[in-house]
Amino acid sequence: MTDLRTAGPAEAPKAVRGSRDSRFSRVLIITGSAILMLVAAAALGAPLVSSWGATEIDPASTLAAPGGSHLLGTDSNGMDIWSRVLYAARLDLGIAVAAVALAVVAGTLLGLVAGYRGGWLDDVLMRAVDILQAFPTFILALAVAALLGNGTVNLIITIAVVNAPAYARLVRAEVRTQRELPFVDAAVTSGASTVGILWRHLLPNSLTPVRVIAPLNCGWAMLTLAGLSFLGLGVSIPTAEWGAMISLGAADVVGGRWWTSVPPGLALFVSVLGFSLLGEGLQERANAKRR
Amino acid sequence: MRILRFVVRRLLQLIPVLLGVVVLTFLLVRVLPGDPVRTILGQNASEADAAAARARFGLDQPLWRQFLDYLGGLLTGDFGTSIQSGGSVGAEMALRVGPTLELVVIAVSIALVVATVLGVWSARRANRFGDHGIRLFALAGNSVPEFWLGLVLVLVGYSMLGWFPAPSGRVDPDTNLTPLTGADLVDAALTGNGPAFASAAAYLALPVLTLVVGVVAPLLRSVRASALEVLNSEAYVAASAHGLPRRTLLYGYLMRATLLRLPSLAALVFGTAIGSTVLVEYVFSWQGFGQWALRGLLYRDYPVVQASVLVIALCYVLVFLIADVVHAILDPRVRI
Repeated sequence: MTDLRTAGPAEAPKAVRGSRDSRFSRVLIITGSAILMLVAAAALGAPLVSSWGATEIDPASTLAAPGGSHLLGTDSNGMDIWSRVLYAARLDLGIAVAAVALAVVAGTLLGLVAGYRGGWLDDVLMRAVDILQAFPTFILALAVAALLGNGTVNLIITIAVVNAPAYARLVRAEVRTQRELPFVDAAVTSGASTVGILWRHLLPNSLTPVRVIAPLNCGWAMLTLAGLSFLGLGVSIPTAEWGAMISLGAADVVGGRWWTSVPPGLALFVSVLGFSLLGEGLQERANAKRR
Repeated sequence: MRILRFVVRRLLQLIPVLLGVVVLTFLLVRVLPGDPVRTILGQNASEADAAAARARFGLDQPLWRQFLDYLGGLLTGDFGTSIQSGGSVGAEMALRVGPTLELVVIAVSIALVVATVLGVWSARRANRFGDHGIRLFALAGNSVPEFWLGLVLVLVGYSMLGWFPAPSGRVDPDTNLTPLTGADLVDAALTGNGPAFASAAAYLALPVLTLVVGVVAPLLRSVRASALEVLNSEAYVAASAHGLPRRTLLYGYLMRATLLRLPSLAALVFGTAIGSTVLVEYVFSWQGFGQWALRGLLYRDYPVVQASVLVIALCYVLVFLIADVVHAILDPRVRI
């Protein structure tokens, strides 16, 4: 019961004949990576290409239109939009990647143990996964974020908690099929320890679907993070974060002052698109390989 | 009656999951920081006032006692009393469900049609120019933050062009619409109120469009993938090798087999739509279930949080059950 948008396929990507298109998938991967590198460069180089700080206030101009000393204008507090859009990339990219990494590690470990051990441990873990997956993912994120409270660390935990069950289920399914294969029996017979079998044999073989899904998931994590901040459940004001910036400018947009909300949203859109392109390309390549 | 047995078995399986949801929400709202009494009395209220308020809502009782009371209420259909408003949670919720269902049902229906048409069209031109275009559109739709898209639509449709009403409210109050179900479009149709119907439709247009984009994108990709699978199946290849007419191939073979997967896809997408609705309702000040649940969460209104979480989980799992049943009815190959 995962969200279609979250993780792509709930099971390992299925081979679809006739979808071989290595050139298109290469274009997707290259474009996606290029976008992501550009966003990362903007995040790192923010101080070099902007003249204002992330939360620096210019009292002389509030809600100034683009142009002059403010490339993209200022918001209702007099903060420079262009600088904030650049600085926000650090937080958005950082939180999303950290959260997905945490989800992958936690979910993979749980899936490995549950799938290999089986028995009551498997039952308990999978029932917990069932409960977490009884919610639409964004709703779950909303509830966890509201209950944990604002803050960067809490956001990382929230997004990781929401995504970990999907990885646990995915890895568990892979491990359960591979556990029955002769190479595991061989490892057991030759006296390998359980940890050794899990770490050296089952883990590397179970990660293929995870590798394909993680980039798509990073994009979804960014959308979730921004959505939470938009609702006031993410970073605390006035931290430079795309969702929070869109929220701050929402009232001005209705009045026709587009520059407060449109640029941060565009930045978010392009970054997520980078992850989506990369993920789609990787998925197509994985599908082609399975044949 | 195999299907009936299947439904009963699935419903029984749902009980532990829902019980887990009930226990988990009950504990989490209470264990994690935040005090509902402080949010209504303010930070400066005296300790005695706070204690009195706690006693009024039964929050001074031991946890197990509160839980049994809550569970007892649930069994008789009583969701408790809202700490913020003092009203019955069940009655408040009933008011909020209509407007949200109106949004979600219209958006998901439109999305299903659009995704089917575009997905099948795209699959039949797999790896050609049009197909690439559709796939890029789907990727873009998947990546656009819907709350921002909603704002952009407001900017263009209301602020610049003035074609649509301001993002506040759901129907023009001057049309004197008598509320019946809470879904304004349905109410207007039932009471035969033409102006109200037009007004409700105008207010619905932008939020529905926002939701549709978010829902179509993932759906489109899945429809395309399943249509491709059908196109490459032996049955289809054999049928086309026999030289069946194009119409028969398209409607009798391709569409029929692809449509079989729609119920499951619709269920999956329903979850996405619920999540997006919270954001879309916020952007358009749509007084629906999402806004109500969100405010409950922010104010730590325990009964509201518990009720809304339970109802969302219940809807979500039931939608999956319905999808499985419909699939089983449509597809004789499914063994249940």
